Amino acid sequence: MASVAVPVPAVDPAEARTGLQTRKLVLSHFWVAFGAFAVACVLGAWQMWARSPLEAPAHTASNYFRSVTLHGVSMAYVLSTFFIMGFGYFVAETALKRPLKWLRMSWIGFWVGIVGVLMAALAVISGRASVLYTFYPPMTATPWFYIGLVLVVVGSWIWCGVMIAEMIGWKRDNPGQPVPLAMYATVANAVMWLWTTVGVAAELLFQVIPASLGLVITVDVGLSRTLFSWTLHAIVYFWLFPAYIAFYTMAPREAGGRLFSDTMGRITFVLFLIYSLPVGMHHLFMDPEHSSGFKFLQMTLTALVSVPTLLTVFTITASMELAGRMNGGSGLLGWVKALPWKNPMTLATGLAFLMLFFGGGGGLVNMSYGMNAMIHNTSWVTAHFHLIFGGTVVIMYFAIAYAIWPSLTGREFASLARVRLQLWLWFIGMMVMTLPWHYLGLLGQWRRVAAFDYSNPIIASWGPWVIVSLVGGVILLVSAMLLIWNLLPQGLGRRSEQTTYHYAKAAHPPAHVPKALNGFAMWNIIVGLLMLAAYGWPIAQFFADPPPQAVVHHLDRGID
Amino acid sequence: MAGEPVEPGTLDRRWRLMASAAVGAVVVFGAVVGFLVLPGFQRANAGLDLWTAICRAAGITEGSPAYRQPVSKAKALPVSQVAWNEDVLENLSGANPQQGAQLAGQVCVSCHGENGVSGTPGIPSLSGQSSAAIYKQLHDYRSGARVNDQMTPVAQQLALPQLASTAVFYGRFAREGLGLGGRDLPGEPEIVRLAREGDSSRALPACDSCHVPGAGGPIETPVITGQNLEYLQAQLLAFKHGQRRNDVYRRMRDISGKLSEEEIAALSRYYRGVLF
Repeated sequence: MASVAVPVPAVDPAEARTGLQTRKLVLSHFWVAFGAFAVACVLGAWQMWARSPLEAPAHTASNYFRSVTLHGVSMAYVLSTFFIMGFGYFVAETALKRPLKWLRMSWIGFWVGIVGVLMAALAVISGRASVLYTFYPPMTATPWFYIGLVLVVVGSWIWCGVMIAEMIGWKRDNPGQPVPLAMYATVANAVMWLWTTVGVAAELLFQVIPASLGLVITVDVGLSRTLFSWTLHAIVYFWLFPAYIAFYTMAPREAGGRLFSDTMGRITFVLFLIYSLPVGMHHLFMDPEHSSGFKFLQMTLTALVSVPTLLTVFTITASMELAGRMNGGSGLLGWVKALPWKNPMTLATGLAFLMLFFGGGGGLVNMSYGMNAMIHNTSWVTAHFHLIFGGTVVIMYFAIAYAIWPSLTGREFASLARVRLQLWLWFIGMMVMTLPWHYLGLLGQWRRVAAFDYSNPIIASWGPWVIVSLVGGVILLVSAMLLIWNLLPQGLGRRSEQTTYHYAKAAHPPAHVPKALNGFAMWNIIVGLLMLAAYGWPIAQFFADPPPQAVVHHLDRGID
Repeated sequence: MAGEPVEPGTLDRRWRLMASAAVGAVVVFGAVVGFLVLPGFQRANAGLDLWTAICRAAGITEGSPAYRQPVSKAKALPVSQVAWNEDVLENLSGANPQQGAQLAGQVCVSCHGENGVSGTPGIPSLSGQSSAAIYKQLHDYRSGARVNDQMTPVAQQLALPQLASTAVFYGRFAREGLGLGGRDLPGEPEIVRLAREGDSSRALPACDSCHVPGAGGPIETPVITGQNLEYLQAQLLAFKHGQRRNDVYRRMRDISGKLSEEEIAALSRYYRGVLF
């Protein structure tokens, strides 16, 4: 319209400012993740209300299970998967310090995931998929639900392919150089995720989807529970990886120090890869379809997951001590005071470690063959995974978003105090919600029910504790809304100087590392052998001597 | 990446060996304790020899939970003979509804009404019921698990495939009449509560948890919303007084036994409802 020709900028101004090619890609992933997260927080608070003695609006059993399904799917599959994918693309560009070769493929992965999320969400909202986020037949939902979630997984497989291809490309161009730790860890997660999804993919493709479509009328639930257990524990480590990547490669520098040991980081990530897979049977300790020997073997392997956790606690504490002393702290504990607690990442790391202490202790109870009997199928388990995933892991998702947001948006946060307030509220809310919840589990409170009858004298004393949990849930909801406010343009302030992200340097940067710690070929062989030992016969037995099958129950259409 | 001069191959080899040995040692430890040591301790309590105990721990010998348990040879009292195994389900899914429609037209319609909507007090409507529910009752009449002067001789004249096709006709193709299901259900608050939430002080589950369309109960459970009042009341009383005994695990005999006769009458009124 104007007669004077205005030169059209060749690149998006913000992109030119930050110089990041993956800016839009990462932001799209993060907003899908945090959008689903915000919705799920509202549902979560309502669910705690419904479980409490206080009268909750619209509280019927069908609404409750619909809500739990949507909450679980949003938190466990949408928040986690999209966050991990987005963060992975960011790491690939900023840690390898070069643009993505597979950018178009990454966008395809994103849209495949979006289509899947919409299909699954509509299926749940319509009330035809209130089967919770676990795949336990013979109860089955509408096929749309499962096909939608398969698409989300396919999107994440594309991400895995891109991550592996980017690392291989970089290694080819930089022969003999150690892959930067952040990227090495991201690819460890991608490799683990490919192994992880084999179990649930087999269950969905060969059992659940045929049952849901009505192609078969019975299903072997022992086999499906076994296949799901294959995925069920490793998926938790898939979610956990970004938190650990932040511990090793972001927190030390944010705190003003260096990573204590790069090698320790590589060993930790490799240990997660090999010991999160052949351990899922600890979810089936009370199941009848497996023998005690295999349960014990998998318990032993599960116990080893504590090794990388303890390695991390040691390495990160040592890194923080380096930072504290470099900041001028002295004496036995003076370095703790000298840490920059006003920095969101430092604060989040401290709070995450506190939650890890409680959550990890609870986890040791869950994985012990004997003690498991005490808390199996009680609220203890639900409280545990909220504390570990919702607490330790998700607070680090926030910290990561806060750390990289300036380089993505080109602007600093308007108020770092509000950012810290959000992290504190999340920590306080999570502790207030989950500690009484654990306690109720010890008293025997069952999970997966829509309501409790507190007029029953046997459980009347539980009521006040659930109200305390509800208070925690409301604090979490406030914190979630504050997160969104902080991340929206309204929460941002002046222009940022950051054009990319710089990861923590190691105290002794590695000149070269053993091949085994610079790639995954050998570890894949070891994982394969471990899976064969741990799951070979437990799966083969269902084919060697097929047990009686269960009649499929179609939640979406009743039975003709 | 072959032929890189940067890394001394010896370093890699040592790494591979040490890492594999460490992982292998853990597996061996777990296997030795799980498959040998623990069965060794358990064997005395279970009165087994060591080899049997080891085989049980590995899930390859009877007695292990992982192995199929021996089927009980005990004879149960003859109540319902219907088992929802794959054969029965396949018979139902493969049944011929046209044949069912013919049978229904010749036999059932005179009492159960056009399209399975009964106008006679005391005789149930069939339309809107699941095929599994109708098959179960027909089969029970045929086997003698349930007795009725009219229904017993009718069912005994029919072969199993005929039962299946009749059940499928009413379950799938006679829904136009919608005898059951879509109703307004007004009732006194305590009866509504009983229907929707049950009464935990008497260990009574909610009727709705099994008996409304799409509920998640056992597959043979009938839908009762919109069923006629006299029929519902008569059945609950028959269960209560032990005259009807074809309920699996005594579920309905236990439940009806705890209900007062007034509650039975009120629940029957509630579930008949008002056609909107």
